[in-house]
Amino acid sequence: MVSDSVAAVPIPSAANTKNPGKKKRTNRSAKLKQYKIDARREQWLNKGAVKNKGCKDGMDDDVHVPPSSGKHAKQELEKLETRRRGEEDDVLIHQESDSESPSNSPVSANSSVLCGNDSGTNFTGSSSSGGSTSSSSSSGGCCSGNITEEEEDEDEEVEEEDDGCLDDWEAVADALAADEKHQNSSHNEPAVETDSSQSREVTGGSGLGHPNSKPGSGGMVPRGSANARAWRADDAFRPQTLPNLSKQHSMPNPDRFFGGGGPWCRTSVPSNCPICCEDLDLTDTSFLPCNCGFRLCLFCHKRILEQDARCPGCRKQYECEPIETEASVHGGSLTLRLARSVSMIERNQYTFVSINVKAGQ
Amino acid sequence: MANINVHVETGQDNIAPSMQPLAPPKSVDSQSVLRRLQSELMALMMSGDSGISAFPEEDNILCWKGTITGSKDTVFEGTEYKLSLIFPNEYPFKAPKVKFDTTCFHPNVDMHGNICLDILQDKWSSAYDVRTILLSIQSLLGEPNISSPLNQQAAQLWNNQEEYRKMVEKLYKFPAA
Repeated sequence: MVSDSVAAVPIPSAANTKNPGKKKRTNRSAKLKQYKIDARREQWLNKGAVKNKGCKDGMDDDVHVPPSSGKHAKQELEKLETRRRGEEDDVLIHQESDSESPSNSPVSANSSVLCGNDSGTNFTGSSSSGGSTSSSSSSGGCCSGNITEEEEDEDEEVEEEDDGCLDDWEAVADALAADEKHQNSSHNEPAVETDSSQSREVTGGSGLGHPNSKPGSGGMVPRGSANARAWRADDAFRPQTLPNLSKQHSMPNPDRFFGGGGPWCRTSVPSNCPICCEDLDLTDTSFLPCNCGFRLCLFCHKRILEQDARCPGCRKQYECEPIETEASVHGGSLTLRLARSVSMIERNQYTFVSINVKAGQ
Repeated sequence: MANINVHVETGQDNIAPSMQPLAPPKSVDSQSVLRRLQSELMALMMSGDSGISAFPEEDNILCWKGTITGSKDTVFEGTEYKLSLIFPNEYPFKAPKVKFDTTCFHPNVDMHGNICLDILQDKWSSAYDVRTILLSIQSLLGEPNISSPLNQQAAQLWNNQEEYRKMVEKLYKFPAA
């Protein structure tokens, strides 16, 4: 269960970042998820007659997911899955293991990290409302969403919070990783403990050592989702030792095209492939196929090898053995590394071919 | 770690089969052209280069119209030329077809507006983009390659810059807006 959730976390959360470059993938995975919902719904409808009440809960949850795919639907789905998971823990329903679903616990993981006490409140609230839903719905067969007003409000709230949290999850993960080390030192400073709402957010948000700071006040959590990150970049109390957030590295680089000379003249690693404009993942950024330093993604490199096999940067023939440089991990945290490597799965199979070649060396 | 790897692989198994019907190779191809051209358009509009501009036609992002103004201190100073750029589906692995829409009296441009420029043919690299193409053509205006001319008359007249300027002015029609 634990390892399952660990492996399941990165896929949807990686797709959830607001990076427009990942929109395509997001849509794809949303579609994918829709497939799974449909499949599961059919499964349940078949077994529904003989299933117990707990199973009906699950079906109700699934049924009122709007059929339109997209980010909204996906988020809601994730939330629902999360909720059902919470119920499972309580009710211990007998049903197939959820391990095939990649969207099991992203929100719970994120919100438990980011909103701390908040997620617990959601669970209790939603499980009670789920109970009311199941009691109000007479039969499991109806497909119209029997959502109560309360529940909808709650949904919106959760979504807003999710938006804010997921927006910066990478950044926060980095910050938290560093924060854990420096917690003791920064914790004792009175400046951090001041009563300004900002610093309270920080302590509440990090959720380290303050599990009961605001019990049962899920609705009161400030909605200023822009402030939901652990430290604001311009925060005066931000410890100097925190690393610079690497989030901007994953955003499209606007000055790629007008950086004086060619884009390949820059010594730093570009954030996206100059050929196809897709984001460079960790494997791509550690991939240096030519001495001239021109970087590109493995996909474009393979395509060029199939054609004239000349480096776009210097027009020289590619050597057979690409030069491998030491992988430069921006974030340094395992979560980030996992997210990047898992996101490659969704890209294409060519990437995998190249990786296998690399691993064989 | 081994545990995580196993799960990653199962994740792949789950995703791969259902991915294929969603993303056939051809649509991926045109999607990547689209993505690249959108990115170029964005970069071009943000860059604020003087003397060059380009924009896709209304209905087709694979067909662009560009403009180049003649550089200062050349015989083409004060002129403005319209070009058309047509991108193949294999772009950027194949060069776009670039032509002058406005008549251009130039040694390396023929009567139909075809341009003789190495980077648009055998010297093409997928690292070039609309911006570098237009800048290259702009600099070609002032520095023609006389040795392999498409327009013999222009090549012969090039050495006499005053006469050449008169010829340019005579043949130049200000492009209709």
